[in-house]
Amino acid sequence: MFKYSIIKMFRSIGGLFWMFIFPLVLMTAMHFAFDSIYSYQNSIDPMRTILITEGQGVYQEGFEDLIESLSEEGSEDQLFILEEADSLEEAKAKLAVEEAEIIFVVSDGDVEVYLQENHSITSAAVAGSIADTYKQRYQLIADAWEQDPAFAMELVNDARENVTYTVSEEDAFGAEPNPYNWYFLSTLVMGILFMAMMGINMVGDLRADVSAVAMRYSVSPARKGQMVVTAFAARVIPGLVIVAIQLMVMKYVFGIYLGNDYLKLGLFVVSAVMFSISFGVICGLCFKGDVHQRGNKATSLIMISVFLSGEMISQLPGLFERYFPIFNKINPATVLNMALFKLTIGNSAEGFFMNIAEIIGLTVVFLAIGIAVLRREKYASV
Amino acid sequence: MSEILKVKGLVKRYKELIAIDHLDLSVKEGEIFGLLGPNGSGKSTTINCILSLLEYDKGEIEIFGKTMSPKAYELKKQIGIVPQDVAVYESLTVYENIDFFCGLYIKDKETRKKYVQEAIDFVALNDFVKFKPGKLSGGLKRRLNIACGIAHKPKLIFFDEPTVAVDPQSRNKILEGIEELRKNGATIIYTSHYMEEVEQLCDRILIIDKGHTIAEGTVEELKGMIKKSEIITIEVAGLDNKALDMVRESNNVYSVSYENNQLKVEAGSGKHNVIDIVNLLQDKGYKMKKIFSEQPTLNDVFLELTGKQLRDE
Repeated sequence: MFKYSIIKMFRSIGGLFWMFIFPLVLMTAMHFAFDSIYSYQNSIDPMRTILITEGQGVYQEGFEDLIESLSEEGSEDQLFILEEADSLEEAKAKLAVEEAEIIFVVSDGDVEVYLQENHSITSAAVAGSIADTYKQRYQLIADAWEQDPAFAMELVNDARENVTYTVSEEDAFGAEPNPYNWYFLSTLVMGILFMAMMGINMVGDLRADVSAVAMRYSVSPARKGQMVVTAFAARVIPGLVIVAIQLMVMKYVFGIYLGNDYLKLGLFVVSAVMFSISFGVICGLCFKGDVHQRGNKATSLIMISVFLSGEMISQLPGLFERYFPIFNKINPATVLNMALFKLTIGNSAEGFFMNIAEIIGLTVVFLAIGIAVLRREKYASV
Repeated sequence: MSEILKVKGLVKRYKELIAIDHLDLSVKEGEIFGLLGPNGSGKSTTINCILSLLEYDKGEIEIFGKTMSPKAYELKKQIGIVPQDVAVYESLTVYENIDFFCGLYIKDKETRKKYVQEAIDFVALNDFVKFKPGKLSGGLKRRLNIACGIAHKPKLIFFDEPTVAVDPQSRNKILEGIEELRKNGATIIYTSHYMEEVEQLCDRILIIDKGHTIAEGTVEELKGMIKKSEIITIEVAGLDNKALDMVRESNNVYSVSYENNQLKVEAGSGKHNVIDIVNLLQDKGYKMKKIFSEQPTLNDVFLELTGKQLRDE
């Protein structure tokens, strides 16, 4: 039974598509769509820039700090080479003879940008983006300060954390929580969550009121408890193999940073795969119809769960956290996502273990219910 | 012959609907026992209760002299089931499917290998062992369904409408196979709403409708339960009312009709019904062209006992 259950899993085209092929196709598409953005950002040559400060104040100081941090020689984040000029006129003269490409003029509450006559699109975009973002952030913090000083401080801290406007490829793929990394991780989680289909399949195999094949099991002398355990194990193993292959592709083909703690990663994978299969068992038991109908309903549920966990819009979990935090706690895709994300950004071991504990706890509950129901030997209706 | 299966006072309710109402049946060793009834009459429900797949409300079920229960594993080893729906895995080949289901009963690999091969030979699927069910025709799938149910050589086999949607050639092969299983020592319980099959195959038949027992016995015994035992059709022109009255007054005749030069006479049991009517018409000078005599079918039995047709298709 064990051998054929594993063979069945690997021959199931529909299951393999959702669990294995679809996530890899999505990852490949994302790699080709977004990888070039990071390569492009990292290919920008530092631009000769003059900073003119008019007056003194917090606003001007903040902007000076920002430009200086982006002008650090040898830094991977370097965007500018700072040139000296005593006045705006002298700066404009240097711009005219192409000794500088950008002039920033910062006064109290405003940042003006001057560009060469034959400026590049890149210099216009970078200079405009930095000036606008700074102005918006500052205004936001100033407004917040009037309303709620504590919230304003949070924004200041956030602004400090996000002071880097471009990041190195390693950072982009690794330590920095950015959408690119998030999409890869949540796509992996989506594939794992689709392993719920194996749980539904298990219900179809073992419940005579769901499928005719299960009638053969129930009529046979094989012990139901033993069959449930075998069927579960026969699904966990292919699940682990599939995730292992996906992780290797993510790391070695797409260069995704998966953290340094492979023990924790292994713990996440095993608990996530078991969680998804047991979640599928519960879906299979709760939904009505034949195995295919139950599978279709579970697919819809998983897609909604994955969408709300930020697969398409990475800000969604943040929104839920702010207005309806319980939703993130009960959405299986978010729970899995958060555990993996906390693991890979590596700054919250406690948070990771909290998520893992939640995943394992739910798995135990789902499995206990699943085994209790699946072990029943007869049914109210067939 | 010893009693292999005994069901006494079986009652199964689905809320207000009584699916089986105090059903009794008894099957003897080596018999092919037919469970006949229209769709929805309770045949499959009866089998599911016997196999402990369904909880029933009342009654006793004994197989091989022991009470059947979900945990009667020793009894289950001797039982095979061929479900109404083809119950095989689409992702496994013919060989793998049979091996898989046989493996639920037979743990020893060598024995299982032998049994699986014998089952393949039995249903003549040797040329298709590496095929997946999706590549097989409806008839071949049905044969695979049978092989999966009988590979472990059970002593009691339940066939739940095994010939539904099967072409006549495959149907004959299936029926021949069932006959052979009986010759090899198995006891068969066969459900169908195809009366011809049941009539051809079964030693004894239980007719049920709406969960009630309508009649039980051999084919002859069942036919003997009804008044009508012969339908005589004679093609004859110009019969007048006087002649028709004479036919009506003949021995054993209880129904006469005459339309489009076709005289149709329904008669009770009698050895010379046809001769008597032919002689009567000849004496009156009528010239007859074609004469048919048909025996009543199980459908006639069902019709007379319940007032409706057995086949509801």
